[in-house]
Formats: sequence, C-alpha cells, structure tokens
Amino acid sequence: FSAQAAPTARGLLSPPSGEPPTFPRVPVLGYSDCSAPFQLGERSFARQYAHVYSVRLAAMRPALEQRARRRWGNDVVVRKLSELQEGEKCCVVGTLFKAMQLQPSILQEISEEHNLVPQPPLPKYIQPSDELILEDELQRIKLEGAIDVQKLVTGTILAVYGSEQDDGRFLVEGHCLADLPPPLPWNGPSSDRFVLLASGLGLGSGSGEALLSTQLLVDVVTGQLGAEGEQRCASQISRVILAGNLLSQNTQSRDTINKAKYLTKKTQAASVEAVKMLDEILLQLCTSVPVDVMPGEFDPTNYTLPQQPLHRCMLPLASTYATLRLVTNPYQADLDGVRFLGTSGQNVSDIFKYSSMDDYLEILEWTLLAGHICPTAPDTLGCYPFYKSDPFILTECPHVYFCGNAPRFQSKLLQGAEGQRVLLVTVPDFSATQTACLVNLRDLACQPITFSGFGDEDED
Amino acid sequence: MADELYLENIDEFVTDQNRVVTYKWLSYTLGVHVNQAKQMLYDYVERKRKENSGAQLHVTYLIAGNLLQNGHMCHKVAVVREDKLEAMKSKLSTTASVHVYSIQQAFLKDSSPLYNTDYDIVKTNLHNCSKFSAIHCDAAVPRMLPDIPRAQTSLQGSSQRENDTDVPSTPAINGHGPLAAKHSLQQHKGIMGMFAAKAASKPQNTNKETKAEAPGVSTASSKPPTKNNIINNFFGKAAMNKLKVNPMVEQPKEEKDVVKPSVAVAEPELNPNPVAEKPGKRTESAGIQQKDRKSQMKHVDRSDNKEERDPENAKRKRKRIKQLQSDSSDEEDVPPSPTLEEEKASSPPPVLALKTELEPASMEVSVGGRKRKRKRVLKSKMFIDEEEGCMGKAG
Repeated sequence: FSAQAAPTARGLLSPPSGEPPTFPRVPVLGYSDCSAPFQLGERSFARQYAHVYSVRLAAMRPALEQRARRRWGNDVVVRKLSELQEGEKCCVVGTLFKAMQLQPSILQEISEEHNLVPQPPLPKYIQPSDELILEDELQRIKLEGAIDVQKLVTGTILAVYGSEQDDGRFLVEGHCLADLPPPLPWNGPSSDRFVLLASGLGLGSGSGEALLSTQLLVDVVTGQLGAEGEQRCASQISRVILAGNLLSQNTQSRDTINKAKYLTKKTQAASVEAVKMLDEILLQLCTSVPVDVMPGEFDPTNYTLPQQPLHRCMLPLASTYATLRLVTNPYQADLDGVRFLGTSGQNVSDIFKYSSMDDYLEILEWTLLAGHICPTAPDTLGCYPFYKSDPFILTECPHVYFCGNAPRFQSKLLQGAEGQRVLLVTVPDFSATQTACLVNLRDLACQPITFSGFGDEDED
Repeated sequence: MADELYLENIDEFVTDQNRVVTYKWLSYTLGVHVNQAKQMLYDYVERKRKENSGAQLHVTYLIAGNLLQNGHMCHKVAVVREDKLEAMKSKLSTTASVHVYSIQQAFLKDSSPLYNTDYDIVKTNLHNCSKFSAIHCDAAVPRMLPDIPRAQTSLQGSSQRENDTDVPSTPAINGHGPLAAKHSLQQHKGIMGMFAAKAASKPQNTNKETKAEAPGVSTASSKPPTKNNIINNFFGKAAMNKLKVNPMVEQPKEEKDVVKPSVAVAEPELNPNPVAEKPGKRTESAGIQQKDRKSQMKHVDRSDNKEERDPENAKRKRKRIKQLQSDSSDEEDVPPSPTLEEEKASSPPPVLALKTELEPASMEVSVGGRKRKRKRVLKSKMFIDEEEGCMGKAG
C-alpha cells in the first residue's frame, strides 16, 4: 500500500498547481452474497436444541470417518458407542461434551436449596477437574488418555481412536478433527485490489478519543486524506466490511429496565444517538465505496446467532445508497472472486472462555480445522434452534476467514493439504486499538493500518 | 484565476475569525478539491512565514507511511503537530504522504478541535460529502426515490396481507391512499368502504396497525425531499400533533372526523384552492388514524349520532384545516379562514343535532385556531364524561 504512494509523498507541500486528479473507484468485478443459510425467515422457538446436535453429527460423520480412515488406516473399525466391545481398538465418531464445574448454569442459580449467589462472569471457566464425554446418537462415554481436555470445547464433532476399558471409560490413543474443508477454486483479481476490514467502531461510548481516528479512517477510504499517491492507492479499495460492534458496550445499559418509569419517561436510549452518528459515518463511506455492515454483540439486532442484518430504517441517510449492504453475522460472500467468511467475534470469544487456548488466531484456526464456525453453540453461545441443517458447518474452504473484535491484529496464511490457501485475520477492536486491516485480494496479503491524533502526552 | 484571493480568505479565517482551518473545512468553504485546499494551506504557511509578520501560526500535518510495529509492517496515518513532524518521519521507514492538515492561531493541546471542525462542516454538507474528494465512485448512486416509497408501500401492503387473513384488504389499502398520493376518488371509496365494514373489528385493527407504521413510514420517507414526502411529512406531523393535542379524543369526535372527509371530498367545489385538497387528504387520513386508534372503544350507538353530525363535522373539519394551515404559517390561508367561518355560520340548518353545544362554542370564537381547538377538546371531554357517567361503567 505505502510503497506505491511514496514517490508523490511530498507532492502536496507546494503551492496550488493545476487541476488535481480525481481517481475513479475500482469497479466491483463480481459480488455475490452467499449468506443465504444465515438468514432466518419464519422463526419458531418451539423446538428443542437437541436437534441441532443430531443434525450436526449426521452431517459431519461421513467426513470424519473418511479422515479417520486416512489417518489410522483403511481397515480401522468404526463403531458406534452401542457396538463397543471391551478392549477392542476402534474408532468412534461423536459429539464432545465438556463437563465443567464452573460453567454458569441457570439451574444452579435459581436453586433455592443451595442459596447460591450467582457466579460473577469470569474470563475463563476452565478447571483442572473438567472432564470430556463423547456422545453419539444413543449413548455417551467418558474419555481419558491422550486427549487435551482443556483445549477442546463442547459441541465439537471428532473421531477418537482407542479402546474401551473395563471401568466403562474409553482410553484414547489419538483423535482427529474434520480438518480443512475442500478447497474452492481461485478466481482472484490480477491487479491490486484491497478490502478494508474494521470492527468495533464503538460509537456512543462517550469518550471521544477514537472519534478522530474513525474520521481519519473514513477520510483515507474516501480519498480525502493523503497525497496523490495514497489517494490513488485508496481508490483501489473495492469494499469496506465493518465486522460488528458498531455501537459501544456503553449503549447497552437500559435504564428503562432498572429505574422507575417516571424517571425514564423522557430519556432516550443511548443507542439512538449512537445510531445517528453511525448513519452519518456510513453515509460518508457509502458515497464513495461499497460497505457491508455486519451486526455485533452490542448492536441493535437479535442476540442469538445467526444475527440478522440491521434494519435499514435505522439508517435513513445511508440506506438511500445502493452501496450500503446490511448483512448477517456470520457473513459469507464472494468478493471479486475471493470467498470471504467471517464473524463479529462472538464465536471466538466464547471458545476463549471455555478453552485453554489464549490466542484468538489460534482459536480461529482451530475452528477452521474443526470444520465448524461455532461449536459451542447452542451450549454456551446463543443460537437459533435449527433442526433441518446446521448452517455453521464449513462445507467449503474460504479464501479469507476473519473474526472481528479481537484484542489485537493478527494474520496468518494457512496452506492446506488439498491445496487450500486461507488467510486468517483477527480484526482488532477499532475503538481500543485504532487499527483496521487492509487485505490485498491479489496475493492475500494483509496489512494493518493505524490512525492516531495527538494528545496531551506524547507517545513514541 | 484569482491566485491571491484564497490567501486573503485563509488569512481572514485564521487571524480575524481565529478559526481552526482544516483542509476539509477549507475545501468545503471555498468549494475546491481537497488536494487544492491542502496546497493552498501550505502556500499560505510558506508566505506567512517568509513575511514574518509576527502572527503566530500553529500548523498540524498529516503524515502517513510504513512503520514496523509488533512485528508487522503496518501503515500508519497520523496527525501530528509541527514540532513532532520530523520525529515521526524518522520513525517511519517509508513516508507515503505528508501534507498540511490544519492551520490555527492557538496552540492545540489535543486533536479534538480538529475533529469538531471537520464534524461540523461535514454535517452541514452531508449530501455531497464526496464532492471534493479525490475518489469518485460510480456505483454510489442514491437509489431512485420512487423505489423507497414503493418499497414502503409494498411493505405496508405485505404486512396488511399478513394481518388480514380473511378480511378484504381493499379498505385497508385504500386507507393508505394518502401516503401513496392516490387519487381522491379512491380515498372517497375507501372511506365509504371503511364505513361499510365499520362493524367488523378486523379491518380497523389492521388499519390501526398499518397506520401505526404509517407515521413511522412517513417520517422515514421524509428524508428524500420530494413534494409527496413533504406532504406526507406534514400530514404525519399534523396528524401526530392532532393526536397529541387530543389525547383523550373519544368516539364522537373521531366519528366526526371520519365523516368529515367524506363530505369534504364530496364538496370539492367549496374549496377550489389546491392547498385545501391536500389538507382534505391529510385530514381524511388523520381522521382514519384517530378512528383506528380508538376503534376498540366504538359503540353502536355512536353511529346514529355520527350521521347527524356529518355536515357540521365537515364544517368543523374545514375550520380545523384552515387553523392547521394558519398554524403552519401559510399567510395566504389566513384571510380565507374568516370567510369560511361565515360560510359555516350561514348554514345552520343541519346544525340542530346533539352537537349544538359544541357548535356555538366553536362558532363564537373567531380568533386564531388554537383556542378553538382547545375549547372543543374541553367541551367534548365533559360531554363524554357525562355520558359515560350516565351509561355507567362499561367494564
């Protein structure tokens, strides 16, 4: 990005010259929205969540059996739990369940006998005494042995190889996940094209530090900031994806619930002002570049995954432009021949709470290897009670896989055994880090872009 | 090209008005490309420094480039004060761009005045915020305005279809006539149709629901500035005002309102000016709104009274139209209102109904509209209270 701009860096430190150039924005080569499975039509919450697990297991079982055969030989015996014989080495495919003592349970909270105070939210709920249990359609069995109890989370479909012991437990000698899904053909552009990924704008937080950085971000993308070279590079940004948390957590407090009605009659929810600010920012962006807006944890949409798009009536100014697209969380789309898949970060942060993995990038990679975007749903992560199919199963390998609202920027290019090439990006929280990501679609290179103003104290 | 003019302008802004002049603010104020604005600022700084006229100028620069941070080569964009410029330049491995960001007389402690200046100027120019930018996007075209109202009416239509399972939806759709600016005839039919189906609660419920979204829709559609939407907006506002002013408006009043439109439409000749037609439409829909809101409280007895009150309702309605218009500062409509009053005064025969108490009250006062409205509300409240007292608690 910067290298191309360097030659004309000082061009604007001069008296006004002739007509300054205007660069046309690179046209969208191809865009197709593939998030149809994440859009909910008629919603009915009358079903139980058990169907999600059975559908998930049924869908992923064939792939896992194939993987198991590849790993432990073609002649490995694949058994269901009901067919297990003691001492026989075999492979079992099932859903994992991690029994955690610290896991917040609503039953414990309301149990009057215990007189328990509700547990405060902890950063991590893991404990050495956690146990892993493998469940399939009919039975469950405790796992022990060569398996990392702390790392795995509930809801993962995996295949374990081992034998049943006489005490009824299964001694694991090895396990495998679904691994990367089959690759997609590459149709990427031949010239430089960028996509800007940003998340966690955090509007309405009441603190103005990040506001100048947000304005600088908008100015760079719309081509107002920078010398000519940089503006030309900015014109190659073909799309902006805002991955969630456009509103700050501060807008979430609802006095209307806690306070008496006469106190809150004339007050407005904090999110109203924040959404107005968001509308103005989106309007500035939309007049210049196509924008995809994904909802996040603190945004005014439903709580359970998949989150539905924000309603366009909230953004009256910006929604008059066709360049604004309000999309679901998770979001999947083909941008200029490159398949993007990403979430606003709720899946990764939930796994973070229930697993010993600390690194967001590591967790992101792990979900890709497990073949499922959010295995912890519906156990600890809110989810719609699907019963026909689980849309979060990864059936094709995306080219760019991102998650929003990470504590810091990280990226990694993953190469798969079947020729998959995935760029993993953890998009940092903009309100905290003032950093966004630029992905070059030509070669899947990713560069962070930081903005800063100046304050009282000078940092180096 | 007036080369020196911009220098004088900048001089005036910075020294005389003591403003913070950012490149964006200058670009919008002078109507020039952002790059030209940046160059103008630089030129001004250079000349002023050369002249050394003693006026203190503080300049902030924008610098962008590559910086090795946390193991990544990250592209950094920063606004820095002049004294920190060189330090920042040395930190960056390659400089991608540097230009003047702003000029101001005062020393800035932090960058919030810069943000505020830009925020204000962008807010006032929201609709052409990319006009002076260096990048022009062909795809960023505002959607055609008919698309939006059409989408909204189709939304209403679809929601009506969801709500009316077995009830004919023509009254409901016709009830939305004004919003889509349909022909007044259709409204006429719609009102009649609504009277016909008055007994059935379903259409009224649907109307209520769809009307509930109608104000929302009309306010949402107020943004794209077209005549239709201005009317809708006014109608929405007027209807809202009316609903607020008469929070306790009971059935007789609403029924009056509902009947008024029919009469108003039936006698368009009386109001030749086109302005009155719009209020006619507006008040019809307002009437529909009010009627729908209180639809549950409807009793069958009221219907008999309603017919009798038809003509005076029309007159009163017309009066109110005029009052509304005078409220909205339409000067030309004020003179016609006294004439209308005379008209109403001259046709007392149909007035003999129960509403005579209300009629004289409204007739006597010949001042501006508000008093009359307020009086009417009070009276009708009393009237209703008495009635309900007589009828006992309905439960």
